[in-house]
Amino acid sequence: MAEKKQSLLLRYMSSTDHKEIGIMYLIFALVMGIVGGFLAGMIRMQLWEASGGVVSPELYNQIVTMHATIMIFFVIIPAMAGFGNYLVPLMIGARDMAFPKLNAFSFWLLIPAAIIGIASFFVEGGAAAGGWTSYQPLTSAQYSGTPGVDMWIIVVHLTGASSILGAINFIVTIFNMRAPGMGFMKMPLYVWAWLTNAFMILVGTPVLAGAVTMVLFDRHFGTGFFRPSEGGDPVLYQHLFWFYSHPAVYIMIVPGFGAISHIVAAFSRKKVFGYHGMVYAVAGIGVLGFMVWAHHMFTTGLSPAVRAFFAFMTMLIAVPTGVKIFSWLATMWGGTLKFTVAMKFALGMISLFVIGGISGVWLGNVPVDIQLHDSYFVVAHLHYVLFGGSVMSLLGAAYFWFPKMSGKYLDEKLGNIVFWCMYIGMSMTFLLMHWTGMEGMARRTYVYRPQFEGMNQIMSFGYVFMLLGGILFCWSLVKAIRKPVTTPLNDDPWNVNDIQGSLEWKTSSPPPKENFKTIPVVP
Amino acid sequence: MFKRKLPWLALALVPAAVYASEPLTSWLFNPVTPVAHDVRETFKIMLGLTLPFLLLPQILLAYAIWKFNEKRGHQPATFHENVPLEIVWTVVPALVLVAIAIPAYSTLKKIEVPPKSDLVVEVIGHQFFWEYRLPRYDIGYANEPLVVPADKIITLNLTSVDVIHSWWVPSFGVKQDANPGRITHAWFKAPEGHYKGQCAELCGPLHGEMWIDVEVVSEQEFEKWLEERMGSAASAPPDSAHSMMLSPEPESEVVNG
Repeated sequence: MAEKKQSLLLRYMSSTDHKEIGIMYLIFALVMGIVGGFLAGMIRMQLWEASGGVVSPELYNQIVTMHATIMIFFVIIPAMAGFGNYLVPLMIGARDMAFPKLNAFSFWLLIPAAIIGIASFFVEGGAAAGGWTSYQPLTSAQYSGTPGVDMWIIVVHLTGASSILGAINFIVTIFNMRAPGMGFMKMPLYVWAWLTNAFMILVGTPVLAGAVTMVLFDRHFGTGFFRPSEGGDPVLYQHLFWFYSHPAVYIMIVPGFGAISHIVAAFSRKKVFGYHGMVYAVAGIGVLGFMVWAHHMFTTGLSPAVRAFFAFMTMLIAVPTGVKIFSWLATMWGGTLKFTVAMKFALGMISLFVIGGISGVWLGNVPVDIQLHDSYFVVAHLHYVLFGGSVMSLLGAAYFWFPKMSGKYLDEKLGNIVFWCMYIGMSMTFLLMHWTGMEGMARRTYVYRPQFEGMNQIMSFGYVFMLLGGILFCWSLVKAIRKPVTTPLNDDPWNVNDIQGSLEWKTSSPPPKENFKTIPVVP
Repeated sequence: MFKRKLPWLALALVPAAVYASEPLTSWLFNPVTPVAHDVRETFKIMLGLTLPFLLLPQILLAYAIWKFNEKRGHQPATFHENVPLEIVWTVVPALVLVAIAIPAYSTLKKIEVPPKSDLVVEVIGHQFFWEYRLPRYDIGYANEPLVVPADKIITLNLTSVDVIHSWWVPSFGVKQDANPGRITHAWFKAPEGHYKGQCAELCGPLHGEMWIDVEVVSEQEFEKWLEERMGSAASAPPDSAHSMMLSPEPESEVVNG
């Protein structure tokens, strides 16, 4: 047993096992979550008073930009990928991903990306400060001549390459390595979510890579893709950017949808309602997600016909999303609900995501959007979707699958406190932003009108709850990992196999190398 | 016991905060222009039609949490499909969306198609101030409030000489990007008063303090203001023939390029 002698660190660093890579993704996301959360705290400190004063205007823009960049590219997407890497091969009864070494490479691309991203704060001129959207010409050589933006572009390239390679791996794995008997319409919803997601990444991410490459060329090689004086157009950048970055918000939530379906079914003790409808809904979101990007650009001067089209497509995407919400509720209907922490996060996610979804419909309505665009209403909406949707579903997934990954439970008592801290903190911070936005508070400003001060202080106070929740979550992880295994968990700790257990519950907890003693056959 | 009350206490903080801040005099800004009024009406219609979809899942969720709690000890149901129901919850929201889209489109047309213009103002974004030009009177000035007559159709042609800015005055219902190399349009008709706004597109370090002030004055006051402007040597009028045809970027000083 040479394996035993290797240190744990070395084993993980050289691993091509999808489970170990999945865990590395999750640890990476957690560590970066601390960094991104710290930056969020700086923002809330700065906005405690209307006149600001904690950081300089330059640093404030850098913090806002990097908070978003880190949370999106280093926290939510890798955390989703972590669960995906761990669970998808298990759920389809495969021994590993199709390309294990490529899988490891996808993960390791993130490490230099993270180092470059964080290091950009310490170079001359600081990190990129043009918002995570990096609109032209603000981030052109003329207006941001320092290396921060170049480093941001490299971060986007590395994380994008990581996503694309991962997506190829998921598609090949899901297409070719399903256990005997598992037709597409027998795949667990989580696998369906990942298949849709992988296609979205494959279509969208290269466009973003192209757009930032053009920015790099404009900055250093004298091209003028986005420079009006050279015949270029800054609005073109927005089209390219949002062609990826709108689908990206679905890339950040669709795997979460999959996880919620599993959790809600498990703790309602019922099969998930409307499986086929759910599959079509996810696929529909995947397709429609690419036809809505210009709703971020309603104030740029697009023609009314174009705006009307994108407005309608944007509102239409609420239909498949609504199908998912109603199906989850119907799954609960008549069930026997058990309120574990995972279930609480799932229910919390549903209730918060409905708010984020409806405010998305409001924002799709052009005349209303023109008023709300780039106001705090948008900040509220996107955090309801990304925190209330993605982060809550990730935390639910963590509580649900931690026993499978480690053979131990996460502390449920502590977990309850984590849940309420997150739910209350998130609501306190982001609910009021709807009001300040409607009353005219602009986003990405380091000072604001004094009349919004009271509400901003409540928002900043809400951050403390989320911080506490985050600390307690990390602590409960450490506590659980350090606790020795006394009695190993059985294969199916939540007793889901008799309802609609997917294959990961048919192997030991944690699963052995190569996942299954014999490849399961799906009846 | 305290743990159980904590969520409710936190919820109570929300109305408290709304009360503590300045009274919210209006739902969605304080509309003063025809467009802003229409936007608010569109918003109300949309709110009325979508609020049920916001509340219904929350109510169903709360009811399910109460009713189907395992502590009640009943057996879970076994149904997991109901095609008519699924068709209903797909079709009904789709129809509601069509119902929202119709008033939205008519308001959009109102925003897009201004009535006959009484005064054209050219708005030029700079890092970090606004320049205004009144071509008809050969007046140009920067970093001062925009002065316009009350109850007249004011049309704006917007552009920028550096990065993208966005001219946003909430109570006018106007938010329009000023893009370098392009000219965009907006219009408003406002009663007398002083209105505030700010740049709405991140444009650099001092973006947060790129405020907008608009003085809407009576016609007589506007005439007086025009005379003062045209008489004073301090305001150097721009060459109106060249107005709006600015060279957007002086390329000589490209840093790092």
